[in-house]
Amino acid sequence: METVSRLDSTPGGKRGPPAWDTETDSTREIKTHFRVCRFIMETGVKLGMRSVPVATACVLYHQFFQCVSVTVYEPYLVAMSCIYLAGKVEEQHLRTRDIINVCHRYFHSSSEPLACDGAFWDLRDSVVQCELLVLRQLNFHVSFQHPHKYLLHYLLSVKSLVNRHAWSRTPVAETTWALLRDCYHGTMCVRHAPQHIAIATLYLALLSYGVEVPVGEREWWQVLCEDVTKEHIDAIISDLLQLYDMEARCT
Amino acid sequence: MDDVLEEEGKALCPLRDVPSNGNHDDPLSYYQINDLIRAGVKDIDRYHEKITISLQPSSLAPNLMNLKLGVFSRDDLPLQYSRSVRVANDNTETYERVLEGTLGYSNPSNVEYLLGKIGVSDTQPPSLMRGLQSKHFLEEDFAKTIRKKQSASWALKCVRVGVDHFKSGRHVEAMNEYNKALEIDTNNVEALVARGALYANKGSLLKAITDFELALESCPTHRNAKKYLCQTLVERGGQLEEEEKLVTAEGLYRKALTLDNSFQDAKEALQKIELLIQKSLKLREEAAAKEVEKAKNVETSAEKIAKSKKKNRKHRRSSRGKKHQQRVSSRDNRSVADEEEEWYPAPPNTSASFLDQKSSVVRPFEGPERTEEYSQPRSKGRNHSYHSLSSVSTDAPDNSRFEDDPFDASPQRAEGSKGKGVCGEKTSDGDVNEREREGSRGQRKSQGQELQSGPQDVPSSLGKVKHRRMSSSSAGSEHSRKSDQYANDLPSQSHISTSRRSDSGKYGSTERGDKKGLNRGTRRSDGDYRSSTDTTRNGNGSSAEGNQKKELPTNLLDLFSQIAQFEKEKCVKPKSEFSFSKLLLSYVIKTIN
Repeated sequence: METVSRLDSTPGGKRGPPAWDTETDSTREIKTHFRVCRFIMETGVKLGMRSVPVATACVLYHQFFQCVSVTVYEPYLVAMSCIYLAGKVEEQHLRTRDIINVCHRYFHSSSEPLACDGAFWDLRDSVVQCELLVLRQLNFHVSFQHPHKYLLHYLLSVKSLVNRHAWSRTPVAETTWALLRDCYHGTMCVRHAPQHIAIATLYLALLSYGVEVPVGEREWWQVLCEDVTKEHIDAIISDLLQLYDMEARCT
Repeated sequence: MDDVLEEEGKALCPLRDVPSNGNHDDPLSYYQINDLIRAGVKDIDRYHEKITISLQPSSLAPNLMNLKLGVFSRDDLPLQYSRSVRVANDNTETYERVLEGTLGYSNPSNVEYLLGKIGVSDTQPPSLMRGLQSKHFLEEDFAKTIRKKQSASWALKCVRVGVDHFKSGRHVEAMNEYNKALEIDTNNVEALVARGALYANKGSLLKAITDFELALESCPTHRNAKKYLCQTLVERGGQLEEEEKLVTAEGLYRKALTLDNSFQDAKEALQKIELLIQKSLKLREEAAAKEVEKAKNVETSAEKIAKSKKKNRKHRRSSRGKKHQQRVSSRDNRSVADEEEEWYPAPPNTSASFLDQKSSVVRPFEGPERTEEYSQPRSKGRNHSYHSLSSVSTDAPDNSRFEDDPFDASPQRAEGSKGKGVCGEKTSDGDVNEREREGSRGQRKSQGQELQSGPQDVPSSLGKVKHRRMSSSSAGSEHSRKSDQYANDLPSQSHISTSRRSDSGKYGSTERGDKKGLNRGTRRSDGDYRSSTDTTRNGNGSSAEGNQKKELPTNLLDLFSQIAQFEKEKCVKPKSEFSFSKLLLSYVIKTIN
């Protein structure tokens, strides 16, 4: 596992402590997790991963570090193993060679690809060992319900309710999808129910673009999901907006 | 699927638009009140609020052609509609319950499918985070690109190791390394070029050409690939020339020239082959004219001979007998077997001393002969530079057409089947052929051409052998080579020849080597990988020689044993051939000693 710290040997040190030390450990941790999740999302795009496996990887990461301390385990290695594991769980199998290549280049930009030597095999071994560690830590519960499929169904249903022209004018679908993907930078994705997250992102998108949805006895979101309340939606939206704030602070 | 609207109203369907379901029935009797009907809308009159419908299939739009019009049941109503009706009537149904009840809900790839339906891309996913915008992602950071670069560099490493092996002569390991490199990175240019060079060196020219061409596809400016490809093409052209595939060879030379205009060998070879082709065409015309005349003369005698041959023929040489007949009928009949035979290398020069002397006499003729070959286009336009330096004899009478008219008489008898076996050649010496054939009739099995004249003629036949050799050398054609082969084969076949000389191939190769040295020395520019092309090619030739012909022991004793066998066969079918021949042999040896 020590070999992975070679990956992170940039002098600036993405994980280095800031100049002022008034930050608490927890804040620092949150920032670390944010950065690592950002790392997971970027790597996912470069590996051509679909949204759901990326979401699984982030959830695995969050759940792992809910139980253990970030000082004991190298978070980036755990992230790499989560990516590898998520690929297997969500049936989009990734090669360790590709994961290592992309991650190495993330830390050492514009470097030559790694040679097939001992260091490469060590890295690979690290990833595989850590994968087993993550599995054991999570008691092998690695299958999750994600908001994505709910969101898509809701989208289709609301699309049929809404005026066709209003729908085509506004990029509601892309926005909700972007909001949903960005949720995974923080732990809110594990704290809320998937249907609620889906409803909340859709609500936020429709609100942002000012799309009118016809109202009947109940709100559209009440119809789509029986147990969601306005409070839920509001809480989720505020968590999401905090993540966007954190981006400014962390990167 | 479109929406289902429930409207109240009436629609009119004219009678002519109701198809009949039976020949005699009233079409309307098919329908009853309260039937559910599917029909196509023909006309809408908004002003009068009238809808005209039709039950004819032609009223449907092309994309709906597969819908069945007419009566249909409630079950066939669109799924959404029936579901929505059910939900509307049932207060306890929730969206979620309905959703979970649908089949698509549990489809693992529903996200992909629905995302495509909605129109959002998952490979270039949208994000509202500043850092995750797609413009920040560089192509070279993506996994695919890195992997390609990495595979190329890993493959290159293997190729370097392979070239090391190659330079130290460890060809097998080198090939393994190249194949490994190509597994890591298919179509890696360096690996292909290196492997092509190895193939060319080994003699697998076609595989080498394939590899070079593949390499040039990916990298058309690769200097080495071009160079090697030129050389290999010219070499392959040379091979084809020998096989008489002049046109193909010419094509290859042209191709080599287009690749590299300055390649001297290719230019020369191209010029030569163009000349050859012209000559061969001319010769063919001349010969065709002659053939027509001769054919009539020789026919009857040929029939006779054929019959007698069939009587005495044994299986082994039956093919050669056929060739004889063929040659009589059509000069230009080039059977495949002929071509195969051409590949047989000249017999080895492992003869006894007196035969060696003959061959040494013969050789001086070969020089001028070779050039003469080029200048005298033969009917087949063969370019054989291979002389038969074999000890045993000689030529087909066909060769007499070239120079050895003075030798015609003597070689004839001995030539016999040999000459015939060699090639479907001119029947200008039709008479000679005739004699040969008669003589060879009894020879089918043993095929000792020298023995045609009978045992008492052995010494004279030896003399004739000398003559023949002279003539063969003078003719300097592949015929002689072949006939020599046959002659040499026969003695070997007659006794249990464990003395299969493996060096016959080598002999042939040295022959060819000489010849090639004359003609193609200039072509060998880059000896980099072409160390053993000659030997390999000759190896091929010798392997081709294979089955039919055995090795060619040419010593005196073999001749004698053959004589003995011939005698036996002539008189009676002996059961103990070998014992008799051994007796004779021992007698002869005693007399000699």
